[in-house]
Amino acid sequence: MEDVKITANSFEKVQADQTADQEKISAPSLTFFQDAVRRLRKNKIAVISFFTLIIIAVIAFASPILAPRDPNAQNPDYANLPPRIANTNIPGFRGEIKNAAGIVTNPYETNNVPKDRTYILGTDYLGRDLFSRVLYGTRLSLIIAVIATLVDLLIGLPYGIISGWKGGKVDTFMQRIIEIISSVPNLIVVILLLLVLKPGLSSIIIAIAFSSWVTMARLIRAQTLQLKEQEYVLASLTLGESPFKIAMKHLIPNLSSTIIIQTMFSIPSAIFFEAFLSFIGIGIPAPNASLGTLLSDGQKAFRFLPYQMWYPALILCILMIAFNLFADGLRDAFDPKSE
Amino acid sequence: MLKYILKRLGYMILTLFIVASITFFMMKLMPGTPFSNQDKLSAAQLKIMNEQYGLNKPIWQQYLIYLGNLLHGDFGTSFQFSNQPVLSLITSRLKPSLLIGSQAMIIGSLLGILLGAVAAINKNNWIDSLATFVSIVGISVPSFVLGVLLQFFIAFKWHMFPIAGFDNWQASVLPSLALAVSPLAQTARFMRTEMVDVLNSDYIELSKAKGNTRWQTVVKHTLRNSLIPVITILGPLTANILTGSLVVENIFSIPGIGEQFVKSIMTNDYPTIMGLTIFYALMFMVMLLITDILYSLIDPRIRLTNDKEEN
Amino acid sequence: MKFNKLLAVGATILFSAGALAGCGGSSSAKAPADTVRVMSKDVIATMDTSTNTDTIGSQAASNTMEGLYRYEGKDIKPGIATKVVKPSADGLTYTFPLRKTSWSNGDPVTANDFVYAWRRTVDPKTKSQYAYIYEGIANAKEISEGKKPVDSLGVKAIDKHTLQVTLDQPIPYFNELLTSSFYFPQNQKTVDKWGKKYGTNSKTLVFNGPYKLINWNGPDNTWTEVKNDKYWNAKNVKVKKLQYQVVKDPSTALNLYQSNKLDDIVISGDTAKQMRGSKGFNSRQMNSTFYIEMNQKKQPVFKNEKIRQAIALSIDRPQLTKQILGDGSTPANSVTPKDMSFDPSNKSKDFVDETSASGNKYTKYDPKKAKKLWKQGLAETGNNGKKFNFVLLSDDTDAAKKQSEFLQNQLEKLPGMKVTLSNVPFKTRLSRSTSGDFDMVVTAWNADFPDPINFLTLLTSNASYNRGGWSNSQFDSLVDKSMGADANNPQARWQDMKDAQNILNDQQGVVPLYQLGEAHMTQTRVKNLEISPNGSYNMVSLRIHNK
Repeated sequence: MEDVKITANSFEKVQADQTADQEKISAPSLTFFQDAVRRLRKNKIAVISFFTLIIIAVIAFASPILAPRDPNAQNPDYANLPPRIANTNIPGFRGEIKNAAGIVTNPYETNNVPKDRTYILGTDYLGRDLFSRVLYGTRLSLIIAVIATLVDLLIGLPYGIISGWKGGKVDTFMQRIIEIISSVPNLIVVILLLLVLKPGLSSIIIAIAFSSWVTMARLIRAQTLQLKEQEYVLASLTLGESPFKIAMKHLIPNLSSTIIIQTMFSIPSAIFFEAFLSFIGIGIPAPNASLGTLLSDGQKAFRFLPYQMWYPALILCILMIAFNLFADGLRDAFDPKSE
Repeated sequence: MLKYILKRLGYMILTLFIVASITFFMMKLMPGTPFSNQDKLSAAQLKIMNEQYGLNKPIWQQYLIYLGNLLHGDFGTSFQFSNQPVLSLITSRLKPSLLIGSQAMIIGSLLGILLGAVAAINKNNWIDSLATFVSIVGISVPSFVLGVLLQFFIAFKWHMFPIAGFDNWQASVLPSLALAVSPLAQTARFMRTEMVDVLNSDYIELSKAKGNTRWQTVVKHTLRNSLIPVITILGPLTANILTGSLVVENIFSIPGIGEQFVKSIMTNDYPTIMGLTIFYALMFMVMLLITDILYSLIDPRIRLTNDKEEN
Repeated sequence: MKFNKLLAVGATILFSAGALAGCGGSSSAKAPADTVRVMSKDVIATMDTSTNTDTIGSQAASNTMEGLYRYEGKDIKPGIATKVVKPSADGLTYTFPLRKTSWSNGDPVTANDFVYAWRRTVDPKTKSQYAYIYEGIANAKEISEGKKPVDSLGVKAIDKHTLQVTLDQPIPYFNELLTSSFYFPQNQKTVDKWGKKYGTNSKTLVFNGPYKLINWNGPDNTWTEVKNDKYWNAKNVKVKKLQYQVVKDPSTALNLYQSNKLDDIVISGDTAKQMRGSKGFNSRQMNSTFYIEMNQKKQPVFKNEKIRQAIALSIDRPQLTKQILGDGSTPANSVTPKDMSFDPSNKSKDFVDETSASGNKYTKYDPKKAKKLWKQGLAETGNNGKKFNFVLLSDDTDAAKKQSEFLQNQLEKLPGMKVTLSNVPFKTRLSRSTSGDFDMVVTAWNADFPDPINFLTLLTSNASYNRGGWSNSQFDSLVDKSMGADANNPQARWQDMKDAQNILNDQQGVVPLYQLGEAHMTQTRVKNLEISPNGSYNMVSLRIHNK
């Protein structure tokens, strides 16, 4: 038997990080938000909606570049022309329309419009280019909706946090105020507000924000009530952190999913509300266009000039659908139960 | 329960008082006068008119007088309809609006629940997508566009229903449908979410394990439990019906209350605006109370007495 | 999948219910043979002729009540009075012989019914907003201002069937005034019986006119009028029934008309433009003009007449009426409407035609001249090259909004001019006009009675409705003369008014825009639906020709 010599060489060094390797998690570690985004990405409808929104927003905000004409420039001689793309023969864009007697006519010919003039979506009652107006109108509607939602957030968020955080008598009192406000139908408040304020963009934004902050405040309060009981908030409190800092550091980050989802639902309803106000005649003052004013003008001419209603209606519907589907997707993504 | 209802009624009166006060002062800020041909009236005549309507007194006095009359159930008389008491104005215009509104709510909520339930049961297949799409289109089309389309195609082209007016029940169908779409869509969405939650819960698994058929499970457990939260949104939805009714009543020439409201605002008919605002607020609060009571009756887990922790 | 079946069943039930209901509601295109169905733009606010303020109320009153006279076409014909009365030599006293006829409750219509109604209207306690229309009748103004007792009004019943009216000063157009519903009689017994409720529903009313209002309740959207057999001229009333329906949405109105559910509808804007030329289209010219008032107190630059003329010249009126309004409105070269008043000695001479030389000077579209005058005006006022931002105030109706947008565009072509629009509800517009809270305002005036003086008195220096503040002493004195010294001399009065109008036209104290036309679609079976100079239809002459 040979002596077995055990030398240092007989030993192989064990990799120092082998244990760590075993415990390695195959998926990357994700924060709550990264996780939500991952889930959102898997939701095809939400992704499509998201890109639709982005495209519409980009086009709308680029309207000063994209619009072929000044949206407010009038040309009454070319009023109410149907859609036409010059020098093409695409059905629906030939500049033809049925008149009252049901006969197809071509107003471009009767009005002596130059052959090479294109009005992709036709013109309105003052001969303004409808395509440019739809572009600018979409932009204005989006601006109104986004600002109104931000204002609503600005009121609703602090209100909800304070109400939920303070609790007790303050909470009861603040909740009573909310109850009173919400027991008057929104529309009444908004109409009265609009009549008292001077008509204009800012008063419409205020009126719309005023009608929607209550929902936001309610949701935030309910969430705050839950968060308040969490250990890390209690820990923070015992460490002597000021309530303001706690709100900024702990509450708002944890409320963000609620805020984002609610915001995504608020924007379309603000767009809708603006359209409604325009319809009853207290919307955006002329000559500016919004989807609402375009739609309400189009609705009146629907019998003879249906294109004046269809195109703004189409854009409005696409916007509404995209916002809602995206918001649905967000809600599912933020809700871990949904998987 | 009784104690709770009494308490709620107390709050309602307080709320009504505040609503009446705020509206009163807001209205006083509104520009214009209630007289339709003010420029033809001499200063002396205008003074007499103001005296007769009590508009010359300081605002706080007008306010106290108004509140005093309100306590006697006197809403004053309309400016726009001379000598017509506001109360009779409201009641005579209420019937069409109530009929259309309640039909819309019934159609909307029932179909909405059905649609939502079907979507939830068929979660993630094409039926679900279709139902979701239908409900989203429903909240994406403004009621005034929908009203015009319904009127043009169904009534004018296909002669299925009267175009406008309020002569018979048939005339109420199209406006009700136009109004029903929004509650339908919202109920459907809500119902789907709730029902998906319920379908994922343990007792459904248990029910399946017990050998109940899918149908029995759905009816016995799922439907009932998902309906409970749906009831809570019916109150606010009823209020939303009001928004639509202004427009729909206009398009279908319905002598309803919504149309009247817009008109009284445009003509500075102060007593009518006040009366209608108070009336709307009252109706809305009653709806909320009813849904809360219904809620407690259906869901034994909820007791109404400790309302503070509940919301 | 039972649930889906349930859905299918539910849907089937719903649709079959719809189809069933559809059968009941399906339109029979046949119109009732003896009924005319008319669209109304709004509800009847009140049937009390003392407190009524709008044309819908006066139309309903004119259908169901009879005053001293009634318009037939453009002519005044006797109503309860047995003839069209000439005043006494000084023009101050009218004595009306009345015919023996009765109310629908059987009571006779007497001179006292007139005395009662007129006193009631001027009585400040009645709160009539139109009491001012009685001004000129002895003591009416003082009574409505609470300075004299009601029974001092210059109207008395000489006997049961003779009525005498005394005026403060001659009113050359008094007979025209008397056709209006504010001068209708009232049955005292009925008014006393119902008190405050009088006129709020059809049960509280008695009628002496061609029709009786039935089943009408306050704010109803529909109402029916049936022939009144007790009407003195009932044999000439050929249409048995009138049905009114309120429609506010223009496309709804057209749908109803084209389904033969309405015989007469009002259309406007794009609908009117599209329907123009089709069968049944007709446009009715109203005694109503639209004009721009320029606030001289707020913007002193408007005191310069060249500035005002420049504004007048920069508006393309034919384009405004044809392309924008499309309802049959016509370009106006004068504040006074056309086809309303005629030379007393020669009925073919229209007031507006007679003054058109001055009227056309500044109302023909001429942007070049406008710019020239505008520059001159600016130089004269020391505003050379200055920028202006004016607020153009107007109503918030669809037509008014479109018109404002158009005007904005036209006026901004003047160098340095920027126009901001303010479209507000009617009553807000009135109160802002009155308080001077505007730079320019589009005002409309609808004739109370068909006489130029009704328009000219709007613009005298101290007239309360002269909101722009244009003032011209010569104009004032001519208007005064026509109402004072020359009041009883038709020819001299006519000349005074023409002179005054010429001054107004030259100065463009206000800028006339257009005379209102109302476009209608009327089924061809309906004949003689004609508007009278006082703005109401005379339904006595209405006829149906069924084929």
